[in-house]
Amino acid sequence: MTQTSRPPSPPRLKTTGLPDDQPEDDHDVFMSEQPATFLSGHPILPEDMDIRDLMPSQLYEMNQNLLNESVPQKPLIDELASMSVLREEYEHGSASFLRQIDYLTKDGYDCVRRTRGDGDCFYRSVAYAFVERLLYSPDPTMAVGSALSQIESTLPMLTGARFDPFVYEDFMECFTTLIQSIVVPDREGLTLTPQSLLDAFQQPESSNSIVVYLRLLTSAQIRADPDAYAGFLHDPDNYMELQLETFCQHYVEAVGKEADHVQIAALSRALKINVKIAYLDGRDPQEVGKVDFHEFIFADDTTSSSLVLLYRPGHYDVLGRSSSRI
Amino acid sequence: MDARLRRVNKEITDCKNDKSSNIKIDLIDESPFHLKGSFPGPQDTPYEGGHFEVDIVIPESYPFQPVKMKFITKVYHPNVSSASGAICLDILKDAWSPVLTLKSTLISLQSLLCSPEPNDPQDAEVAKHFTTSKRSFEETARYWTQIYAGGPGGIAKSGKSPEAVRDDVAIAGLEKAHVDQFEAIGFERGKVIDVLRRLNYRGANVANISEDRVVEELLK
Repeated sequence: MTQTSRPPSPPRLKTTGLPDDQPEDDHDVFMSEQPATFLSGHPILPEDMDIRDLMPSQLYEMNQNLLNESVPQKPLIDELASMSVLREEYEHGSASFLRQIDYLTKDGYDCVRRTRGDGDCFYRSVAYAFVERLLYSPDPTMAVGSALSQIESTLPMLTGARFDPFVYEDFMECFTTLIQSIVVPDREGLTLTPQSLLDAFQQPESSNSIVVYLRLLTSAQIRADPDAYAGFLHDPDNYMELQLETFCQHYVEAVGKEADHVQIAALSRALKINVKIAYLDGRDPQEVGKVDFHEFIFADDTTSSSLVLLYRPGHYDVLGRSSSRI
Repeated sequence: MDARLRRVNKEITDCKNDKSSNIKIDLIDESPFHLKGSFPGPQDTPYEGGHFEVDIVIPESYPFQPVKMKFITKVYHPNVSSASGAICLDILKDAWSPVLTLKSTLISLQSLLCSPEPNDPQDAEVAKHFTTSKRSFEETARYWTQIYAGGPGGIAKSGKSPEAVRDDVAIAGLEKAHVDQFEAIGFERGKVIDVLRRLNYRGANVANISEDRVVEELLK
């Protein structure tokens, strides 16, 4: 690649505060010692770089950094909001979405707990709904006990997936300690409340630890029974079939990678839970506002209720009924 | 103790206790968040016999964000910048998972040396060299292993100053005859090496580049 063959440069993102000396190798610029940065310290595109010279991964990184800088951060998981708040957002948009929102509200799903759109939303939503259901259980001691023993029973599967115990133990402990605190007071003598549950899920370290634990559990479940998932392991971008190892590493264990059918089924199976997902996708050919629910049934107990999530293309939130809470 | 420190301490201990992997992690100063990793070059590759060092920075939100790694030792490889040591590897970017450790990431770097990905290069010139002539690329990579990574037949331990015996033509992966040819017309040797390297004047590609084209570049 020679300098002369290059087309004219596009407008620059930022031209001040850049180093005068431009390294020869364009692709090194991102890694150079003192690149110009955003306030947060993320490097931006240096002056003599053409955006077309960037590697896809660098473009991705730049895009993420730009997004992070420009969008005020939403909490990892939010306070419960009335369905009418969601409705207002679609007021000037699609009529089919509005009809579907009204359908859900009429069906009793009158509130939603939103999660940040960071690719971890499915795992975070399930984890939150899972712990919250234990918290509101009519017999918390019993519910907590059986949840913990189910989690305990997945240990051989995690070891079987050849994850380092010292790596997953911390993540797992974060989840089990939180669940335990529903019935057993912590060091400060406190048990879990709806507020401290929300706090734990808004605090990045504990929230992300739990997300990672669920990702590892999902991956371990897929690895433990490859035949059950073979044929369904696809690259979400181009639908190419993937090897199990690649799928698990890149689309289950990696942070920020969205969950799809396979991951949802595997996690529901590993935790022995039922997960019900409402598809708010604007697909409503009869214009009656009907919403399709997809259920993943893996609980042993036939009376077990489902954790209910709301799906909008590319994103999951927790769906709720205010009547089912205190 | 905060979670990041606890995790890093466990990782360092785990690596120390594992004698089978040949991966080493050492402190650079007092900070447990700035480390130096090292491993031997993989067998049956041009990196065999070399000792490769990697600069490791543990970011604030580790292990939820990827560890930052770059080669300290100069490496001639399509996915490693020959100038800065920056590495193009998916797990160091958007395929990072908190299940990965310093040790497993260093092992991935070691396997990256076994299997270059010229279609996703970090160093475009090295990648072109690789795709033009694998044999010539490997010769250069082996030479770099000798002079920078203490590889076999190397000069690092010969007692002489490396600068005195270093062959700039071999470092650039070029043929001495080609460099001599343009130097003889009156161009400065360093400039000839630079231009021929940039033009990828190697192997079958030599036939595609006219002398006029080279001279035109040399006159710039």
